[in-house]
Amino acid sequence: MTEELEELPLLETLDHLLDRGVIIAGEAVISIGDVDLLYLGLNVVLANVDAIIRTSKR
Amino acid sequence: MKSIVIGAHLLRDDIEPVAEAVPVGDLFLSALPVADDQPLGDRELLIRVAGIRARMLDVATFVAIRYGLTIAGPSEGEAKCGSHLWRWRKLLTAHRDRVEMTLKVAAATSRPRPDRREFTGGAEYLRALHAATQATNVDPAFRAAAERLLVPLAVEHRWSHRDERSLELALLVDRDRLDDVRAAGEELRRISPDVPFLFSGPWPLEVFADDDRE
Repeated sequence: MTEELEELPLLETLDHLLDRGVIIAGEAVISIGDVDLLYLGLNVVLANVDAIIRTSKR
Repeated sequence: MKSIVIGAHLLRDDIEPVAEAVPVGDLFLSALPVADDQPLGDRELLIRVAGIRARMLDVATFVAIRYGLTIAGPSEGEAKCGSHLWRWRKLLTAHRDRVEMTLKVAAATSRPRPDRREFTGGAEYLRALHAATQATNVDPAFRAAAERLLVPLAVEHRWSHRDERSLELALLVDRDRLDDVRAAGEELRRISPDVPFLFSGPWPLEVFADDDRE
């Protein structure tokens, strides 16, 4: 199965990593280069709007 | 050091030596230790975590935890994940030999994505965005073919509107039927050459783990 990862489009692989699975409150630092631009913490979930809508419907 | 949590597993051996195993209750979290100042949005890190997920899935199915959760050790893992453990154990026990496959299909009909600038309030915009997503549909003949070819091979299946441009069919399938499922995907491509779709997997428990809240 590992080899199959290499055949998948990178975008699809990252979509599964970032937009699927169980959401646990977490934190993230958004950076460009070496500059930290934004810190998201405590109960903020990093997700796109569509994902938040889907989650809130459940 | 902090550890990026990747998944929840039944056994330590399902994780090691590919990733770090963090005991929480009677389960284990797989994790990747990184420096405290490591930005989580780093592209190479994301690709590395995706690779670890794939290698662990070779060993056994696990509950995927959405990227972004970090812990400093077992006690923080227990604090953040403790309330989920009983449900994860149930899922892992039931689906240890199953994986997910996803069929992402381009929409045949859709409503344009609403323009945020046309809304005065965020809630109003979110409702319009949701309505646009729900209005998405795929070609009925393709959907019927997908259900005829793929659904009988799955233990569970679920259609979901992911955005205003595509629909997705998630399938929970037995590992020993993966070849049959892939062959059905090829047949679907053969009989529906004009419908753009991506059939991908195997994936860990993502859709079905996320939805199985009680």
